Amino acid sequence: MTMLHRPESLDEACMLLAELDDAQVYGGGTAIEILRRQGILFTEDLVDVSRIPELRAVETGPDGVRAGAMVPVRRMETDPAIRRAVPLAARTYGHVANPRVRNTATVGGNVAHGDYRLDPPTALLVLDATIEARSVRGPRSLAVREFFTGFQETALEHDEVITAITVPAQPTDAVGRFVKMSSLSANDWPSASAAALLTTEDGRRTLHLGLGALAPVPVHLSLDVSGMPTERAVSEAMAAAEPLMDPIPDVRGSSDYKRRLGLVAVREAATDVCEERTHA
Amino acid sequence: MSRISLVVDGNRYVAEITDSALLLDVLREQAGATGVREGCGVGACGACTVLVDGVSVSSCLALAERYDGARITTASGLPADDEVVESFVECGATQCGYCIPGFVMMAHELLTENPEPDKEDVVRHLDGNICRCGTYAEIRRAVLAAAEKRRAR
Ligand SMILES: Cc1cc2nc3c(=O)[nH]c(=O)nc-3n(C[C@H](O)[C@H](O)[C@H](O)COP(=O)(O)OP(=O)(O)OC[C@H]3O[C@@H](n4cnc5c(N)ncnc54)[C@H](O)[C@@H]3O)c2cc1C
Ligand code: FES
Ligand code: FES
Repeated sequence: MTMLHRPESLDEACMLLAELDDAQVYGGGTAIEILRRQGILFTEDLVDVSRIPELRAVETGPDGVRAGAMVPVRRMETDPAIRRAVPLAARTYGHVANPRVRNTATVGGNVAHGDYRLDPPTALLVLDATIEARSVRGPRSLAVREFFTGFQETALEHDEVITAITVPAQPTDAVGRFVKMSSLSANDWPSASAAALLTTEDGRRTLHLGLGALAPVPVHLSLDVSGMPTERAVSEAMAAAEPLMDPIPDVRGSSDYKRRLGLVAVREAATDVCEERTHA
Repeated sequence: MSRISLVVDGNRYVAEITDSALLLDVLREQAGATGVREGCGVGACGACTVLVDGVSVSSCLALAERYDGARITTASGLPADDEVVESFVECGATQCGYCIPGFVMMAHELLTENPEPDKEDVVRHLDGNICRCGTYAEIRRAVLAAAEKRRAR
C-alpha cells in the first residue's frame, strides 16, 4: 500500500527519509507516476515535499538565480528575472516535454531523476550550477558537474532531499544556445542535445558544451578557442565531443544515428555562439 | 484512505481516496467529470488536461491527495457561450471529439496568459496534445478565432 507522507518542514522531511527504509522524495511526480505505472518503481513510502514553503522560493540577483527544489520547471522558463539572469538555462528548461508537464515537474525532481537524456542538465553543466541538499546529517552542496555519476545514478544519498539549485549569472557578453534533436516528435525526449556557451575572460575565449542523451550520463566539456575563427573552433569542438559520445540505442535511434545527430547538435550550437560573437 | 474535498466546475465534492489515487480517476468516478479523458496515461497526449487554479495539469500524472481543496475546471464546466468551444464548433475542429476537451483547456490557459497569440504561440502551447483524427489545422484556426472573438466581446 502506498503511503504519502506530507511533512510541513525540511527537518520533518529529513527525519522521515532517515527513518523509513525505502522512502522516495515526491516532487512533481511526473517521472515517479510513470515509473510506478510501468512497474519499475515499487517504493511504498513517498515523501511529498510540496508543503514546505521554502522549497518554492526563487531569488534572483546580480550573482544569478537560486531556485527552490519545488519551483516548477515552467517558472524557470517564463520568469522574466530568471530569463534575464540565466537565459541559456531558461531556454533549455522550456524544452522539457510540454507546457502541461512543465507546470508540474520541479527543478529538484528534474535533476534527481538522473536521466541521461534530460535537457536542463546540459545548460546547468555549462553554467556550472550547484545543487543544495539536506539530510539529518545537515546541508551540503554538490556541483552539477559531479552530480551525475552513472546510468540513472546521481551523487545524492538515499536519505537526502534536494533543497535548491543555484545557477551563477550568465556573463552579459556570453552567448548561449541549446539545440535539441528529436526523432519521434518535437516535444519528445531527444535523440541528442547540446548546450553551448562562449565566454570571454581576460581575452581568453572558452567554449563550454553540455551534451544530453549521448552517453549514460549528461556530459560536460570546455575548450579554449581563443583566436580561432568559427570554422576551426567548431571543428575542434566536434573533435573534442565525439570521443565522449557513447549513445544508448533505443526506439529513438541506433547508437550511430544518435552520434551523428550529436555531432550536428554540437556543430549547430557551437557555430551559433561563435557567429554571434564574431558579429558582435 | 483519506478524505479530500475538491471544487470541480464550481461544485464541491468530498471524495474518499487511497494515497495512490489519481486525480483523473477521482474526477471521472467521484465527480462525474467524464469530459476528462484518459489517453496515454503518461503525460504525453493531453486528453486528461484540467485547469487547477487556471494552470494546466495532466490529471493522469497527478496524485489526488495533493489537490485537496483545489479549484478545478474541466471542459464540462465551461459556459454554453464559451468563445473557445464556440470557435471549435464553428471551425469544424471536432471529429471523434476524444481529444477536444484537452485542447480546449490548453487553449484557455494560453489565452489567459497571452490574449493575442500568433500561430506559432498556439502551436508551441498546444503541441503536447495529440489528436488521433488529425484536425490540427482546424484546431489552430479555432484557437486564433477564439482569441479574436474574446477581444471583440
Ligand atoms: C510526457 C513527458 C515527456 C518528457 N520529455 C522530456 C524531455 O523532452 N526532456 C526532459 O528533459 N525531460 C522530459 N521529461 C521528464 C521530466 O523532465 C521529468 O519527468 C521531470 O523533470 C521530473 O520532475 P518531477 O518534479 O516531476 O520529479 P518526480 O517525478 O517527483 O521525481 C523524479 C525523481 O526525483 C526524485 N526527487 C524529486 N524531488 C526531489 C527532491 N527535492 N530531492 C531529492 N529527490 C527528489 C524522486 O524521488 C524521483 O526519483 C518528460 C516527462 C514526461 C511526462
Ligand atoms: S492521458 Fe494524461 S496526458 Fe495522456
Ligand atoms: S477529434 Fe478525434 S482524437 Fe481529436
